[in-house]
Amino acid sequence: MTESVEKIRSIEEINEKIKHGDAVVLTAEEMIKLAESSGIEVAAKEVDIVTAGTFGAMCSSGVFLNFGHSDPPIKMTKCWLNDVPVYKGLAAVDGYLGATALSETRGFEYGGGHVIEDLVSGKEIELRAESYGTDCYPRRHIETVITIDDLNQAILVNPRNCYQKYDAATNSTDRVLYTYMGTLLPNYGNVTFAGAGQLNPLCKDWNYETIGIGTRIFLGGGIGYIIGEGTQHSPQSGFGTLMVRGDLKQMNSRYLRGASFYRYGVTLYVGVGIPIPIINERVAYTASLRDDQIPVNIRDYGVPSRPDLRPIVKQVTYAELRSGKVTIGEKEVPSSSLSSYKMAREISEVLKKWILEGIFFLTKPVEPLPRKREFKPLKVRRKELRVRDAMRREVVTAKPDDEVKEAAKRIVAKGIDHLPVINTDDKLIGIVTSWDLARAIANNKKYLSEIMTRRVITARENESIDVVARRMAQYNISGIPVIDDNYRVTGILTTDDISRKIVGRRTTI
Amino acid sequence: MRVRLIYSPDVVEKPILAEAVLKTGLPINILEAKVNAQKGELVVSIPSTGKKLEEVLKIFKEAGVQIQKFTEILQIDYERCTSCGACISPCPTQALKFGPDWTLEFDEEKCVACRTCVNACPVKAMSLP
Repeated sequence: MTESVEKIRSIEEINEKIKHGDAVVLTAEEMIKLAESSGIEVAAKEVDIVTAGTFGAMCSSGVFLNFGHSDPPIKMTKCWLNDVPVYKGLAAVDGYLGATALSETRGFEYGGGHVIEDLVSGKEIELRAESYGTDCYPRRHIETVITIDDLNQAILVNPRNCYQKYDAATNSTDRVLYTYMGTLLPNYGNVTFAGAGQLNPLCKDWNYETIGIGTRIFLGGGIGYIIGEGTQHSPQSGFGTLMVRGDLKQMNSRYLRGASFYRYGVTLYVGVGIPIPIINERVAYTASLRDDQIPVNIRDYGVPSRPDLRPIVKQVTYAELRSGKVTIGEKEVPSSSLSSYKMAREISEVLKKWILEGIFFLTKPVEPLPRKREFKPLKVRRKELRVRDAMRREVVTAKPDDEVKEAAKRIVAKGIDHLPVINTDDKLIGIVTSWDLARAIANNKKYLSEIMTRRVITARENESIDVVARRMAQYNISGIPVIDDNYRVTGILTTDDISRKIVGRRTTI
Repeated sequence: MRVRLIYSPDVVEKPILAEAVLKTGLPINILEAKVNAQKGELVVSIPSTGKKLEEVLKIFKEAGVQIQKFTEILQIDYERCTSCGACISPCPTQALKFGPDWTLEFDEEKCVACRTCVNACPVKAMSLP
């Protein structure tokens, strides 16, 4: 911080007050009310600590486990807990179970996040491991049942938690999208958002003046610590994150929940609570920030690009999102959260209670978190297949008033399956397939205009093959016309073309 | 009251619902519709009770439409539900919302048992028989 402000109180002074039962602790919601009624100056003088909390899906979460040695011992090279793979690039019986790892038998229904919840709940977990066997670790296979009590360590270490805020999501396309932002209805049918907004800990210390490495926190119902900036930490744009750790054995499954996002994958809902010491008026100000002061972009998840390239549909605030309705264009669209405001409130209450009871003391960070960090995209330096690399440029087309019989003859002669239909301006207006023609002949239809599909799924020359292949699979089509800005057909791409290209480039035998 | 109306092939093309609306003056709301040339199935909400409701149902019965009482009721396991809200905005009939203390609330009368929320729930707290 360049601007210095007068210090009101130190962490040591606050801890003394906690010891004597004199500390004034408010939840973030209570602080907002006090600042509104009495002003920031008074709030800063009166309040020692503001408790903030959040409860949401935090994919970059996981737990380090030590299983202990069996006899004879095994150097586990592959390991599963309830059929969910555990990362084994560590010492013999150490592993890391990530929240998004999928069960190899139950798919999207069950994964790492669920195993973590089951461990915390004290449930029995199937442990299976394999090895190649060595002189010192002769065992090659193990299958047994464990509970969290059998583990030497179960330490939650989450590389990225507690996003300060998060872009909201909507969907411009004509079909339902199933994303990590939940179910997105077609034609801007709804908006989903994440983050606790005015209760979020990083919003409450917006300038990173009080929290840092070593800050003691509420984590999953137990005690945890901030161990550094989280991955993708981008505080200068309001997207700060935290890396945290805590002893899983002390935690509570109420605040650690395995979750599945339909047709997307699995994750872990994590509860994080952080005490914000009101050391000066500036911290008092950020601790009083309201939902209507925190801007959020709504992005179009209908565009399958990387997050920051998805078009911004509108900028709103957490207050608008939380009201249940936002306006997009002329339309009023329902909005709802993915993270629980109710649980975030509960966590800030629990943390407040701990402090008031004198069982939770504040720590002074040993190092602050960076206030600036570049967030770079991944540059792809190898040439990648685009539509133009695999499409055929010689396209056989037809006109809507062409006869079915003639069209059928043409596709037989050319050995093709798809016939784009164009108008007199050469613009694409429909498509017929060999199957359409067979059916048309069987039903005695005469002209292509009677049978052609008018809503044509198309591709562009510079689109990635992966994106277009997915589109073809979604619409269950085997050929897709490639068009330019004027809707003129410049090529055609079929599943045959794609498989030929991909076999040529990606497979190494 | 919500009912499921099942139209047989003989009556599927007749404007029975429109007639019922005109005759009774009740704004019957179609919550869900699956109609093709062979058959039709509608879930409708009839904003009425007692005698008037009987009158509407009679119109459908006499026109050859089979009436089923709506029995699918969404169950929410509040032990698992975290009131996150992931089910709220995807619900096509706005049957789910937050109460004053941000607890998830369910309005049975609006629900059409479409299962959208069952799929959207991250912690599998919703179920339908």
